[in-house]
Amino acid sequence: MTAISQRSAASPRSLDAERTASRKKRDRAARWAAIGFVTPLALYLFIFYVFPLAQNIVMSLQRYDRGSFVHGGAPFVGLDIYREVISSSTFWPTVAQMAIFTLVSITVQYCLGLALAVFFRSDFRLSATLRAFFLVPWLLPVIVSGTTWQWMMSADNGVINSFIGLFGVDPVWWLSADNALWSVLIANIWLGIPFNLVILYSGLQNIPESLYEAASLDGAGAWRKFRSITLPSLRPVTLITLLLGLVYTLKVVDIIWIMTTGTGTSQTLATWSYGMAFGKGTSGVVRYSEASAVGSILLVVALAFGLLYIVTQSKESD
Amino acid sequence: MSRLNKRRALQISALATSAALVLAGCTSNGTEATATPGDAGQGNTTATIKFWDPYPQYEAGGDWDNQVKSCAPEGSTIERSSAPQTDLLNQLTSAVKEGNAPDVVLLDNPLTPEAASSGLLATAEQAGVDVSGYDANLMGPGIIDGVAYGVPMGSNALGLYYNEDVLDAAGVDPSSIKDWDSLNAAIEKVVASGSKGITFSGIAGEEGVFQFEPWFWGAGASLTDITSDDAVSAGQLLSDWIGNGWAPKSAATDNQSASWDLFLTGEYGFAENGSWFAAPAAANDGFAIGSMPIPGKDTAVAPVPTGGEFAVAPLQSNDASDHYANASAVISCLMSGENGSVTSETLGFLSAKADVRAAQVAANPLWEPWVPIVEGAQGRTTDLGVGYLAVSGQLSEAIQGALNAEGNADAVKAAFDNAAGL
Repeated sequence: MTAISQRSAASPRSLDAERTASRKKRDRAARWAAIGFVTPLALYLFIFYVFPLAQNIVMSLQRYDRGSFVHGGAPFVGLDIYREVISSSTFWPTVAQMAIFTLVSITVQYCLGLALAVFFRSDFRLSATLRAFFLVPWLLPVIVSGTTWQWMMSADNGVINSFIGLFGVDPVWWLSADNALWSVLIANIWLGIPFNLVILYSGLQNIPESLYEAASLDGAGAWRKFRSITLPSLRPVTLITLLLGLVYTLKVVDIIWIMTTGTGTSQTLATWSYGMAFGKGTSGVVRYSEASAVGSILLVVALAFGLLYIVTQSKESD
Repeated sequence: MSRLNKRRALQISALATSAALVLAGCTSNGTEATATPGDAGQGNTTATIKFWDPYPQYEAGGDWDNQVKSCAPEGSTIERSSAPQTDLLNQLTSAVKEGNAPDVVLLDNPLTPEAASSGLLATAEQAGVDVSGYDANLMGPGIIDGVAYGVPMGSNALGLYYNEDVLDAAGVDPSSIKDWDSLNAAIEKVVASGSKGITFSGIAGEEGVFQFEPWFWGAGASLTDITSDDAVSAGQLLSDWIGNGWAPKSAATDNQSASWDLFLTGEYGFAENGSWFAAPAAANDGFAIGSMPIPGKDTAVAPVPTGGEFAVAPLQSNDASDHYANASAVISCLMSGENGSVTSETLGFLSAKADVRAAQVAANPLWEPWVPIVEGAQGRTTDLGVGYLAVSGQLSEAIQGALNAEGNADAVKAAFDNAAGL
């Protein structure tokens, strides 16, 4: 009895062992294949992302000047550069300006983009053409739009001052040191609306019409429908649009540089870093280490918002 | 992602990052030892010669381009490429670091001490460049610690152009402008007659500082102390122009080219601009343009900064002697004898050699008003050497503050006092 039971007990176990062995072999082969597929991507990411990033951080820990950049020998100074940058009189005003620029930009871009998307939802004749026109800011090269805005905002003979002069308003010095932030804000909002419009419009298409019909039957007005159906349904699209807009706006250098070269209140961490890295703007002195430090700080800010998005999104999907 | 995989992913990314950091730390060293010391006399010219200059506005096939390419030695061709001043220096920095620097570079004179002390340039001796015969005040920026690094291409200078028709209509006699007070009076008369006042460039950066320096030095200020009362008075002068509406508010963001374009509209009475516009000014359609020296606060001629580029040979790592031989051939071709005069005329500079300058003036009378200006010009880096760039940055901040103050004396003083640091 025991012999039989032993034999019958042994064979399933050895069958199991065989199966496990062959499965382990398959797994190993699969793992090698996986590594083979991932390697090109990993290599690419390493060379073009991780290595420059590490180089940037290393550069911010050593005191570089033009000579040591070319010939080597920059001394390691630890966190001194960060201390100098953060305690400089330019740092906190620049951070505040960057915060205002970014938050006002994405808020207004989002609201106007959403308003336009809802407007275009109701198809009317020529709506496709009109929608195409609204894409123009996105399609124009920034050098063209930036130069045009600078020209329009000219204090003495600009189009904008002529226009507001028609209503009796005194001409405004748009590109002065104090007003520079608001001027580049206006231009940046104009630049960002098409992006929001396109994404929110496609998000709106995915909301089933039946929801609106049901709401109408229950007697909901347009505003109630918007508040209770449109906005909640757009939540994932909103999150991604805001995040993309935020990370993009944090890094914006081109529109600001073209209009004001980052002078006055239009200085953000990105333009400050750019000016210091290449000796542009007011000072021709190249500050490699300080620029790397500011760049790293900017990266940390962007990373913080990225993590915020991931947390919000995982809560969303729960 | 399961717990185990998450931990694995973390481990791998930590490994990758630390590997990258180690790699970055080890390889961030650039060209380690100094380059092989070459000598122009021991090298031969190569088939292709790379020539960099800061004149992207002079296109291929134009006068300057042809002048450069005509200086190719027997059996060689010159490849010329251009970039704006700051970009050119940055590109040169990267090129020397990589070891493939061009053979000849024309570098703006306030950047030359920086380039030389950062080890980007070969000495004039190494590169076989003849430094004799040049005016001392123009040669100044190219001599660091007693060693010459290149030769000045020539000098341009700043002057005060005026619209003869506008001044006639306003009843202003140009020869009556002898100091700041008479200049302000003249501008006031011009504005009262219905025209606009004066254009200049106050853009952030070296260009704006270059345009500000005649007023700065004309007030008696010195670059060693930019917070002095004299310095503030120069800032106040420009600030008042903006505040009174005598100068366009766009002066704070205009470069010299944009400022000249405004003057060419014919609406402005005066323009502070460079001698490189002297030839187009003489040939202007529409209205006649005259020029005079920029007045000082109490003097008729304010010292102006020396403009113009230096012809230098960058430091080479490979085949240094051959590259220096290239540099020697091209630079001596461009700068010596008859051709030196042609080079200066093509660029719109007055030659840095007194005899060639005299010949230029004799051949072309439009240079006559510029000779005393050039001979009285002051080097920007003479007092401060390599430290000039940092002071220039501070002065630029002060100028921007002053222009934005629109005449408010407290704000102008604050701008100069606070111009500092990063």
